[in-house]
Amino acid sequence: MNCQQIARMLSASQDGELTPDLELEVRQHLRGCAVCREEGNRLQQVVRRLRLVPPPAIDPFFPARVMAGLGTRPLAARRLAQAVAYALAFFLIFAAGFALQTGSGRRATAVPAAAATYSSVLLEPQDFGLLSVHDDTLGLFAEAGRE
Amino acid sequence: MEEPRLSDDEIVASVLQGNRRDFEVLVRRYSGRIIHFVARMTADNDEARSIAQDVFLKIYENLPYYRSENNFSAFIFRIARNMTLNWLNRQKRTIFISRLLGRDLGRDPFRLDPPRLSPQEQGERETLVTDQLRRLPEEQRLALVLKVYLEFSYLQIRDVTGWSVPKIETLISRAKSRLKKCILLQESGGEDVLPARKK
Ligand SMILES: [Zn+2]
Repeated sequence: MNCQQIARMLSASQDGELTPDLELEVRQHLRGCAVCREEGNRLQQVVRRLRLVPPPAIDPFFPARVMAGLGTRPLAARRLAQAVAYALAFFLIFAAGFALQTGSGRRATAVPAAAATYSSVLLEPQDFGLLSVHDDTLGLFAEAGRE
Repeated sequence: MEEPRLSDDEIVASVLQGNRRDFEVLVRRYSGRIIHFVARMTADNDEARSIAQDVFLKIYENLPYYRSENNFSAFIFRIARNMTLNWLNRQKRTIFISRLLGRDLGRDPFRLDPPRLSPQEQGERETLVTDQLRRLPEEQRLALVLKVYLEFSYLQIRDVTGWSVPKIETLISRAKSRLKKCILLQESGGEDVLPARKK
């Protein structure tokens, strides 16, 4: 291999990511080539410099803050159930209103009350984060099977 | 300290069974690394803690989507990566709009003044490194941060980013070469080093 090919592999070699035979080739080349050795040293220097930056200071209250932030936050599956419950409740209310208007009076009045009760039991109206279920923060949809 | 140490998957299962307090074990286990990751990506330690907090809330909400296969780390770093990139994009949009309106809100994530870090947290050299890092193209920075600061293997980086291993190898190699040129220029007394960021 020539110097150009070796230069392309130096970074992966230092990251311990080359196959054993390629690693051997790189090492053999470096033994005989001062130019590539120098290039390798410089790359190592880059990583050493990057590592001069320490992690941010530990905040001992961070876990407690996260737990406080959880509050009564529901898990995603429950959120989905909530979405369905919302839809159902709105549908019932709408259907009841429609039934009232078209005049089949007495039986229909019971329906909005039932729907309102249903929604107040099941739902937390302050939580409108339903969309986040679909916002693909997980990258489940975009990344699936992509290479 | 929990002993014997439960695996991530066991803790997730417990949380999903309704023991939400157990989530704190995961937060303690990963918060340092998540905050470090976000801090290196955003070049802003304070912002990193705030973003990391949102990351953990998002992780909690999405636990039902986690498929137990001993890869919880990839799962949470995917969320951290996406939320960090979203934050960076929002910053860019804010700047774009404020410039459009003829106002500069001064919230450039690639601002030229030093990032907000406490004096103890940074020396002159650190600032320089942080500065050079944040000027790397986003994909190069992401791969390099995961490699250098989180010590992920290329396969682990693949699990977080969805990129192929050859692409990761190229990104990291290019990032290092770019930074190497900066260092060389500095040593030879050159001033600013990098051309404007591409993409
Ligand atoms: Zn050579």
